[in-house]
Amino acid sequence: MSLLTLDALSLRYTPSGAAAVDGLSLSVEPGEVVALLGPSGCGKTTTLRLVAGFERPGAGTLTLDGRVLAGQGAFVPPEQRSVGMVFQDYALFPHLSVLENVTFGLSKLSRREAEDKARAMLTMFGLGEFASRMPHALSGGQQQRVALSRALAPGPRVLLLDEPFSSLDSGLRASTRIEVRRVLKSLGATVVLVTHDQGEAMAFADRLAVMRAGKVEQVGTPESVYSAPRTAFVAYFLGGTNLLPGMGFGGGARTVLGNLPVMGQAKGKVLLSLRPESLRLVPDTDSVAVGGALRAEVLSREFQGPSAEYTVACGGMELVVRGAPESPLRVGDRARLEIVGKAGVLEDSPD
Amino acid sequence: MMRKLLLTLLLSVASTALAAEPLTVYSGRNEKLVGPLLKKFTEKTGIEVKVRYGETPQLAATLLEEGDKTPADVFFAQDAGALGALGNAGRLQALPKATLDKVDARFRSPMGLWVGASGRARVVAYNAKKVKPADLPKSILGFTDAKWKGRLGWAPTNASFQAFVTALRLLKGDEAATAWLKGVQANEPRVYKNNAAVVEALGRGEIDAGFVNHYYLYAAKKSNAELPVANYFVAAGDPGALVNVAGVGILQGSKQVESAQKFAAFLLEAESQTYFSQETYEYPLVKGVKTAEALPTLAKVGSPDLDLSKLDDLRGTVKLLQDTGVL
Amino acid sequence: MTRRPPGWLLVSGLVVAALAVLPAVYLGVRAAEADADAWALLWRDKTWGLLWRTLGLAVAVTVCAALVALPLAWLTTRTDLPGRRGWTVLLCVPLAVPTFVSGYVLLATFGTGGVLEEPLSRWGLPVPSVYGFPGALLALTVSTYPYLFLALRAGLLSQDPAWLEGARSLGMSPARAFWKVTAPLLRPAFVSGALLVGLYVLSDFGAVALLQYDAFSRAIYVQYEGAYDRTYAALLGLALVVVTAVVLVLEVRLRGRAGYHRSAKGAARVFTPVSLGKWRLPALLLCGAVVAVGVVLPVGVLVYWGVRGLVGESASMMAPALGSVLASVLGAVASVLGALPLAFLAVRYPGRLTLAMERVSYVGYALPPIVLALSLVFLGVRALPFLYGTLVMLVLAYLVRFLPQAVGTVRSALLQLNPHLAEAAASLGQSPATVFRRVTAPLLRPGLLAGAALVFLTAMKELPATLLLAPIGFETLATRVWGATAEGRFAEAALPALVLMAISALGVGLLVSQEGDAPRG
Repeated sequence: MSLLTLDALSLRYTPSGAAAVDGLSLSVEPGEVVALLGPSGCGKTTTLRLVAGFERPGAGTLTLDGRVLAGQGAFVPPEQRSVGMVFQDYALFPHLSVLENVTFGLSKLSRREAEDKARAMLTMFGLGEFASRMPHALSGGQQQRVALSRALAPGPRVLLLDEPFSSLDSGLRASTRIEVRRVLKSLGATVVLVTHDQGEAMAFADRLAVMRAGKVEQVGTPESVYSAPRTAFVAYFLGGTNLLPGMGFGGGARTVLGNLPVMGQAKGKVLLSLRPESLRLVPDTDSVAVGGALRAEVLSREFQGPSAEYTVACGGMELVVRGAPESPLRVGDRARLEIVGKAGVLEDSPD
Repeated sequence: MMRKLLLTLLLSVASTALAAEPLTVYSGRNEKLVGPLLKKFTEKTGIEVKVRYGETPQLAATLLEEGDKTPADVFFAQDAGALGALGNAGRLQALPKATLDKVDARFRSPMGLWVGASGRARVVAYNAKKVKPADLPKSILGFTDAKWKGRLGWAPTNASFQAFVTALRLLKGDEAATAWLKGVQANEPRVYKNNAAVVEALGRGEIDAGFVNHYYLYAAKKSNAELPVANYFVAAGDPGALVNVAGVGILQGSKQVESAQKFAAFLLEAESQTYFSQETYEYPLVKGVKTAEALPTLAKVGSPDLDLSKLDDLRGTVKLLQDTGVL
Repeated sequence: MTRRPPGWLLVSGLVVAALAVLPAVYLGVRAAEADADAWALLWRDKTWGLLWRTLGLAVAVTVCAALVALPLAWLTTRTDLPGRRGWTVLLCVPLAVPTFVSGYVLLATFGTGGVLEEPLSRWGLPVPSVYGFPGALLALTVSTYPYLFLALRAGLLSQDPAWLEGARSLGMSPARAFWKVTAPLLRPAFVSGALLVGLYVLSDFGAVALLQYDAFSRAIYVQYEGAYDRTYAALLGLALVVVTAVVLVLEVRLRGRAGYHRSAKGAARVFTPVSLGKWRLPALLLCGAVVAVGVVLPVGVLVYWGVRGLVGESASMMAPALGSVLASVLGAVASVLGALPLAFLAVRYPGRLTLAMERVSYVGYALPPIVLALSLVFLGVRALPFLYGTLVMLVLAYLVRFLPQAVGTVRSALLQLNPHLAEAAASLGQSPATVFRRVTAPLLRPGLLAGAALVFLTAMKELPATLLLAPIGFETLATRVWGATAEGRFAEAALPALVLMAISALGVGLLVSQEGDAPRG
């Protein structure tokens, strides 16, 4: 049985306004890290606040370990939910020291027990020596780990993280992410994370829930969602894609790029998603046209370190293609376009 | 000191529960003036007195608002108008005849609801350096003359001034009163908050003459003997010679009626009357008590023949004052 | 339906709001007794004249106060002006000078035979007339500019240096950056300070009466004083309530929607002070001139009165001083406690109802104090007879009168407080009461103290309500001063007035010392 269940949760800030969360359903298993991923304004932070108890859903039911937290006429206030939260701005109490911040939620323990536990938590995050500092005397990364220690210290059933890594600089972000995930996993914590960064979501979470306009668009492991996006929105949001209308004939579809192999089955008019890495550009050195080859012209090139991303014109369309960083192709060059992967069949209508 | 303060607080809370209740007085007259007199009353009768000091009109408004739930037993007012307003609202009860009879009928309520305790004459105060008494008109009506342009001062919001205007209306009619107000207004008089401010301005030489009550001069001279200001009494019988009173009334619903009546009677005893005469330069209203030496006698002032109780038609007066643009 | 405030918060807010609208309700009850005559009186041309004169004065005072307060606030927060802390305290002291003192001071200075007459006549110059509009403008500007000064200072102190630096990096000169960035960002602070100034002018009676300016509040007093006419006075009072309501609605529009939170995290950076250079002397002269008019002059006149009067009896100041402090401290605590639910609701649960509740807190402040006092008499004898005549009534009066001063400071402190802090505390399993005690209250402390200090200052000099509602025999310094000045005994008024100002100066000190310690999160 799931630990945390969100069942058709809805929330409107004004009675007549649009729903911030619109019939959202999601289950989280014990010990699992789930990322709510979506563009800003999609309702992911509101969903987190509903779970924390800072917002009251207008409809739907929220259940934690079989106990109804909200819905069916019940509403458990945040302080009785045993749900920990780390805010995007960390929300460390500026008038309390690091140790006092971490013991804040341990008021049921004796002072000594609380301090021991807090110190242990801080040590786990490598902050043992900072216990007596005030929050403003810490770096951003240290503040973030204090906020994590504080939220984890009371042993919450679920830990909520709101864009936890967004205010760290990029170098620190990756290493912090790995370390935090290691600690959370070692504690067996159940985590719901909100982020707009698809890379972060895919690296950190066991499962993703891609959100759009207050609803969950697709849930699954990062691998499955990435490789088989159900909609154009998910495909675009996770790594970008090329959309092609086509006519399906079983294992493939007819498109302007010719016949493409597809994952699964395609029938009738379909919309296909072709990832940039499923295409390849070959420099067109010999001007002799190879029969049936697709010809493309490079419109732009963006160097990204491990790869380079090209926008090319081909068959009256603009396509995004991932290329090798060392490729000599530059803007204005002509090239041949090869298809090296399978296209995904989307649920969206091709019109 | 703190203890005393707390005691006061405690008393004020517990007062209703105490058996021997003190007499509660709302006094529109200043503590400096009345305080010593009240002390004497307590010494003499053993009746404790609690006083709320304030401005007469504000206390009157408070008493009207409190209605029959007022904690006050006695209202000691600066002028007859306030007492009249409370009497008209049915807030005052009749005083014993013996008390009323001590004072000339002109200086008490015809219904016996209040009695004057001291008299105050309307006068023209003038700056003695700039004006000779001979230059001053015999009648208050003479101040509409253009030669007084820019030289006059008055306090039209003041109750005693308004009582005078009411007297003017009753004696000469609304039209004459309107004409007078317009005439003086044309002379662009300076407007002051109260009588004391008029006398003060006279002393500074800001104005040459002002319409006030007679005793403000003596109060001002107490702190500055060289003040170049003198009082001028217009001819007897003139509306400008009006004598108004400060007086006392007992509130309807008082639980201390006996003490309250004792208090009213006390104010009319020779000793108290002498106190008014000597300390505040007011006119004693009980026969046989001497007027202060600096003052002409009441008979000489010659207050116009007028029932003071009619001075409570203030609404008409205020309307007149507002229509003429004075207020 | 979301973001519903907890029931207890809403109920306590509604109780305070109900108290705050009491004066308006009272006026309504009294006005309902009006006959056609009274209504006709209200619709006269003269009423409109009064209205324009009153509004004109309110606007003029607000503008002048802003012209004084803005440079002073900037000089004391952003520059290397010598003695900034000291100037700040001194520049706030005029708040502690009662109008019945400052008005007399003005007359004693500018009036005929006043201090200025001789030196000016030596140059063949006439003494400028102090009566009417110019006098009222001067007196009210001097006594109210500190409201704006404090508000603008708080605004300047809370701005993030990055905003100004951003403007400079876009090629703006310092002056242009000030007008394009600093000044617009000061708008909420300016508007809240201006509201206190403008509404104070509507309610003020002391200065306009003394300086003979015919304003609305004076007309209301005339009805009570001259005619004992509560009904017509109530009509005028209601008209003033309507004017106030319009001002309050306009203020919401003007307040703007800009957020207050600092964008930066971590340690708050401090502005690099602007070096005044050759402007140092003029700046010092400006501060000195304002302090001379607002502080030195009244103290000097009082000392002069006092020295003249030392020959006379000198009564003990202990009892009235303790009375003043007791009543004012209780009033300050009550106002801040009353302001908390209103400010919380308005900031954390914004909506029509909560906004309206915060707005109505200004009603009692804009009305002449006599109306307020009578409305509490009205409530006291009818609904709370067991409290009538006790100190509680007086404290309630102070609460209703000074609530907006506390609401304003508590509100801006709350706006700067990161709401995530309370939420974080709740998610750590702490009850709302514990969250308030351990997180919100300690972080709001500077704001709460500043609000309390402001109320304390103004309550110290309150007179009409004190006279009518204090327990019988309860004396304060203000009633002492009144007792003496009413009879023209200025010498006797000097000592209590000086003691009053000295004690109030402690409040000023507290007020200023809490500045800049505003919470960051």
